[in-house]
Formats: sequence, C-alpha cells, structure tokens
Amino acid sequence: MSAPVLEISNLSVRLPNDLKVLNTVDLRVEPGEVRALVGESGAGKSMLGKAVLGILPAGLRQTGRITVLGQALDQLPASVRRREVARHVSLIPQDPLTALNPVRPIAAQMTDAMVRIHGWPRRKALARAADLLEQVHIRDVARVLKSYPHELSGGMRQRVLIAAAFATEPKLIVADEPTTALDATVQREILRIIRGLQQETGTTVLFVTHDMGVVAQISQRVTVLFGGRVVEHIDTEALFAGAGQGHAYSRALIRATPDWTRSDAPFAPVPPEVIADLMQEQTR
Amino acid sequence: MVDISAPRAVVRAPNLRLWVPLCWLTLVGIAAVFAPWIAPHDPLAQDLMLGRLPPAWIAGSEPGYWLGTDDLGRDVLSRLIYGARIALIVAATAALLAGLVGSGLGLLAGFFGGWWDKCISRLVEIWMAFPPVLFAVLLVAVLGTGLGSVIAAIALIDWTRFVRVVRAETLVQARMDYIDSAVIGGASKLSVLRHEVLPNVLPAIIALLSLEMGIAVIVEAILSFVNLSLSSDAPTWGGMIAEGRASIYFAWWVLTFPLLTLFLTVLSFSQLGEGLKRHFDPVQT
Amino acid sequence: MTALISVRDLTVSYPDHGARRLFGPVPRKTILHGVTLELPKGRITGIVGESGSGKSTLGRALVRLVRPDAGQIIWAGGDRPVDLAPLDEAQLKPLRQDLQMIFQDPMSSLNPRQKIWQLIAWPLRRYGLDASRAAACAALERVHLGAAFADRFAHQLSGGQRQRVGIARAIALNPQFILADEIVSGLDVSSQATVLTLLQDLARDMNLTVAFISHDLSVIRHLCDDLIVLNHGRIVESGPVAQIFDAPSAAETRKLIAAVPLPKPDAEWLT
Repeated sequence: MSAPVLEISNLSVRLPNDLKVLNTVDLRVEPGEVRALVGESGAGKSMLGKAVLGILPAGLRQTGRITVLGQALDQLPASVRRREVARHVSLIPQDPLTALNPVRPIAAQMTDAMVRIHGWPRRKALARAADLLEQVHIRDVARVLKSYPHELSGGMRQRVLIAAAFATEPKLIVADEPTTALDATVQREILRIIRGLQQETGTTVLFVTHDMGVVAQISQRVTVLFGGRVVEHIDTEALFAGAGQGHAYSRALIRATPDWTRSDAPFAPVPPEVIADLMQEQTR
Repeated sequence: MVDISAPRAVVRAPNLRLWVPLCWLTLVGIAAVFAPWIAPHDPLAQDLMLGRLPPAWIAGSEPGYWLGTDDLGRDVLSRLIYGARIALIVAATAALLAGLVGSGLGLLAGFFGGWWDKCISRLVEIWMAFPPVLFAVLLVAVLGTGLGSVIAAIALIDWTRFVRVVRAETLVQARMDYIDSAVIGGASKLSVLRHEVLPNVLPAIIALLSLEMGIAVIVEAILSFVNLSLSSDAPTWGGMIAEGRASIYFAWWVLTFPLLTLFLTVLSFSQLGEGLKRHFDPVQT
Repeated sequence: MTALISVRDLTVSYPDHGARRLFGPVPRKTILHGVTLELPKGRITGIVGESGSGKSTLGRALVRLVRPDAGQIIWAGGDRPVDLAPLDEAQLKPLRQDLQMIFQDPMSSLNPRQKIWQLIAWPLRRYGLDASRAAACAALERVHLGAAFADRFAHQLSGGQRQRVGIARAIALNPQFILADEIVSGLDVSSQATVLTLLQDLARDMNLTVAFISHDLSVIRHLCDDLIVLNHGRIVESGPVAQIFDAPSAAETRKLIAAVPLPKPDAEWLT
C-alpha cells in the first residue's frame, strides 16, 4: 500500500477557554480516495478541514500531528509550512461569494496561485485556467474569465472555485460543505463536476458535509464525528448496506435523513439513548 | 429529546473597557460635584508671591499646592477640579441634546424611509458640509460666549453624528425577520418601533452618547483654548492649556496636568462607549 | 374539500434597484406571474421550486407581508370570504391572529432582547388573550419545551429549540393557517426530524391548514398532502403529493425529484 496522502494523529484543538473542539482525532486518507467527514453542527468537521489547511481561527491551540505526503507539518517553520500546504492542498469553500475577491476579474484570481506556486508564466496559467473552466462545464469561458464575481450566479462561482482548486494540481482537496449554499439541482451538477475531475486527476478529496445523502453518493469512506471526536471510520458501502454495520450513531444519522422512497416512519430523530451511549463511550 | 447542539456556557472575562474608564470618570464626576469641598484652594485666588510653584514632589514646592501653581499663583489642582465641573456639564448636556434630536430623526429616517428619509438625510449631508470647528467658532461668535452658547454650539454640530449611526442601525434592524414576526403577531407600526427596533438600537445610542461626551469635552477645550468659551478667568481645562503654553519652559506642570486630565477623560469616554456596547450585547462574543 | 385560501391571478413585483437609471422611477421586477391556487382546509400543502422560483414571495403574499400588484387572495376563515390583497395593515390586524408564520431563521426571527415567554406572550396580549407567563409556558409545553426555557433568551437555545419556540409562538394564537418558510433548512437532521414530527402532530391535532415551503423533496413527500411546483414565478404542476411523485408531469418536477441525494449509494446518480 502506498503512503497516505493525509495522516492525522492525536489531533486536538482547544478554544481559549480550554474546551476541545477536536479531541484526539486520528485519520488516515489514502491516495485517490474521497473521504467524507460527516457530523452534526458542533461535531468539529469544518474545524478538522481548517486544521489540515492551517487556517484555524486565531486563539485556537492545536496539538498532535498532521502529516501531508509524509511531511509532518508541525515540524516545519511557519513560512515553509504555508508554502508546502499551498503546493499540495487546495480548498473548495462553502460560500462561493465571499471566497472570491469582488474587485478582481476571475482570470487574475485563478492564475495567481498557479504563478505563485509553480512559477508558471502568466500565459500558461491562463491557458490552464481556460481549460479547467471548460472541464467544469462553463460554456462561455472567455467571458467568464473577464467577469467579476458579482456578474456570475452562485453555481457559476462555485464552478470557478472548483476549477481554481484543481488548477494548482494539488494532491489533496478539502471541500468544506461546497454545496450547502446552492440549490438542489445545482448541487447535483456541482457534485458531478467534483467527482469527474477527482476521478480524472486521481486527487484525494476530504469532503466535509452534514448530509448523509451526499456522503452516500460521493465518498468511498466516511469518518463520522461527534463532539470533536471520531465515532468511526468506515467504508461507505458497508455503512449504507443496512446490514447492521457501522456505529449505532451513524446509522441513526442515516435514519434521520429524509428519504422520499422510504415508506416507514419518516422523521426519526437520533434517539436520546444513542447519544447517551455514545457520550459514555467517549468519556471512557 | 436531546439537543446536542445546545450552546455551552462560556466564562466571560471581566469587561475592562467598561470598568477602568468608569473608575476614572467617577473620580472626575466626584470632583465636579463636590468641587467646593474638595478643592484645597479657591481656583480664582491669585497670589503673585506664590507664582509658578512646582508640584509637591519637586524641590521648591509649598505644602498644600499638590500640583503646583500657575503664573498668577493659582492652584493648579483646584483649577482642574473646578474645570471638571464645566467639562462635565458641557459634555453631558450637549451630548444629551445632540443624542435626543439626532436619534429621534435617525429612527424616523431609518424606520419610515421614503420622504422622511430623503428630507432628513439631505439635511444631514448639507449640515455636515460645514467644517465643524469653524462652525462652532462662528456660532459662539454669533451667540456670544457663555456656558449656554458652548453647549448649543456643540449640540448643533454633532446631532448629525447620531442621525447617521442610528439611521444605519435602524435600517439593519428593520430588515430582520423579527420585525416581520412582530407584524405577523399583530403589532402596529408604532409598537414595532418601540418594542422591536428601539431596544435593539438603544445600545448603539448609549455607546455613541459616551463617545459624544468625549468629543464635547474636546470641543469645549478647543473653544476655551481660543478664548471663546467662558470668561477667560473661569477655570476650564482648555483655558488652562492655553495659559500653560506660555510658560512651558519655566513651569511645565501648568500645561501638562490639564493636558493629561483632558486626555484621560476623553480616552475614558471613548473606551466606555466600546465597553458599554459589549456590555449590552446579549450575544456575548 | 373547501379551500381556506384561494389565490387568483396573483402578481407580485419588487423594485429592481440594480436596473435603476439616473432619472425616472425605479423599474420593477415581476416575481410571480398570475398564480392561481387553492389551499384546502386542514391539509398541508408543499410549495417547492428552485431559488428565484418565487416560492418565498408567494408565501409572504399569503400572509400579506408583501402587497400584491394584482390578483386576489380570498380568505374563507371568517364569517364571509374576504380578499386580503387590497387590505391595509389596520384592516389586516384582526385577521392576523388566524394567519401565522414560522420563519426560516429562528435566530433572526426572535428578538434577541426579549425573553422566550415574552416573545410568545406579546402577540397574545394584542389579541386580548391570556398573555400571562403561565399561558406562554403552556404553549412551550405543546412544543415539548419545559417552563425552564421561559426566562431564557433566543441565543441561549440550540437551533432546534429556537425553531420550536417559533412554532410555539405561532400556535399560541390558535390560528387556522400557518405558513412555514424553509423552517428546517438550517437545522441538523436530528433536530429537523424533531421539528417536522412536531409540526405534523400539531397540524393534525389543531386541524391546521399549512403552506410548507421547502427545497427538500424528501421532506415534502412525507409531510405534505398536496404539492405545488413553481418555476420562474409560475405554477408548473400541482396536485396530491403521492400522485405527483408517482407520475410527475412537468420537467421541472422530475428535475427536482432527481436532484435529491438519497442516503443510499447509487452509482448512477453522479454520472
């Protein structure tokens, strides 16, 4: 087996008041894998994505080790770490509007990172940007490159950001709830695009989401989080097979997810005893 | 039912921006109210024999003159204490006047919009095109010197600040769902304004009042400095600074102490404003 | 089935400041183009559509938070039918007790400076009902929140709890009609299930007529009796929910149903 793209061991992140938003998290993601990070609000899933990117909010203290492509990030000086992360890891953000600079055209924003990271000439970067925009199913590439963010729809902006994330040829992409701000029909299109590019390039993806439906469709493996701790790592097929595999909490999350094709009791909250058991398990 | 996302209680650090300025301002306030009992000397009593006495901890000082005396032998500490009176009266009245007029107009403009907003906003824009200090000097020159004129001048300049802030804050509040929610619950326009908008705008007004009091202290000092406030005899901080300027090389304390007092007071007012804003925020951040 | 609300040829437009010229009036953008529909008494009607389809605008027109440009909104909840469309706020006030709304974002729809019981009691007082703390607590009990919540503020509650306060506030007035605008879209799945079960039970027990706006077809399928599909401000399909899911006739409906990511892996879905 080849070396993991991302390996996290014993990662904890504390708030200034010592509350742990992430608690002794271990995670190992193999090359080419789409790993879903799923949990309810407060589970720490977004925080984990941010920790990998080294963009935790100020005031948070991080302990433990994050290794990207065999390099332990915490061992590197800050400036080297930033460069290494930028070279190998990209982000597809949640909110496509605030992630783009409103006063610069798309072309400049897309090519900046390529020029900075790989030292490519601007023309080559621009050609690659145009190529990628075509791959994310944008028809009028020339116009979009000249546009400013506010001239594009939410779905278009998210496509631009996906293209930008893949542009630097990263080994790992953190997708932080990239479709929560979008319409359902647009969501499907965006997920298709991410999946397509991922398969073509073999990039590893860490997909943060709260939606078990999205988990089922896009990932090969799932990491379920609760209260800042890992509940389990499990193969997606196995978890959704309905053969009793997976943690009771994960299965309760699936049951709570609305499914119009199911005919039994439609709205099933996670049972309190499952939460109680899980909390007891975690404090042991 | 278990709600696992219930927010956790967060231990709050003491709000230093509220309590430190409050301590200093209380001190100034006590000095202002009880000036006749606290001040060791008559602030106007001149004694040329005791001119330019240094502060108590420097050689050549006289007992009882803690912060020394000025050119005319008047006690600096006593003048500072009486000066606090004038500073605070001007600050409180002027800020309150400006606040009442400005906030009222700001609420009307922000909440009712339309012609209200157009007229009030235009008026504010025109008003703000005058250079403020020149405007104040002009006003006092027209109204004549005296406490009332100074207060009127400051209020007349600074009500626009309240209109702008309160209008913007009201516009934000008016867009919130709980305004619609109140309408759905059968609330009249006036009731929405009083129960939904005003309580949410009030903290901004209070914070601004504090800031405005600091500004009023400064403007009063400027007017005193250019001798357009009270009679040149009266102990005002600005007047003291103006007089102290002349003897800076012989008696630094005459200039330094009023300057320091003014600085601390204005800083306290502005910090208190920030501290109050945080104090009143129901969602502690 | 008698209709509690019948909408005829409803047209709504908003001022479009983006298209404003230097001179002349602000142009208006039409959101709803002559919509006609009926909300049958005692049933839950789902309203779906993509963003920009006009579903929220339709909802806000139903409870008259926006004034329609044209058309009628016939309210049959009183002694005789009334057209809500032309009424002003004073004329609407007595009717509002029967026309309640639950908002999408419970945080911004609950005044942060009022205690939970006050949030519930104030509307009661305006309609001369028992507006005591006890009455507010009774409403809280009905949404399975104890009296312990009465003295808290909205920000001290979790998202699901806040949304239950929103429901308590609406049902406390004992209305005939409730508009629920995307009320679970900001919640975790578990709280979603709790809130939806609650709404379903209350609607049945109180014989409420509900308009349920949502983008989640799975939720609609399980909660609603009838369905209205909007696209670009026009109704493209309407009828009983089961019937539409069995045989959707409009392309927009098929697209919306197909867009739901179901919690079971399907290799086809992303190809």
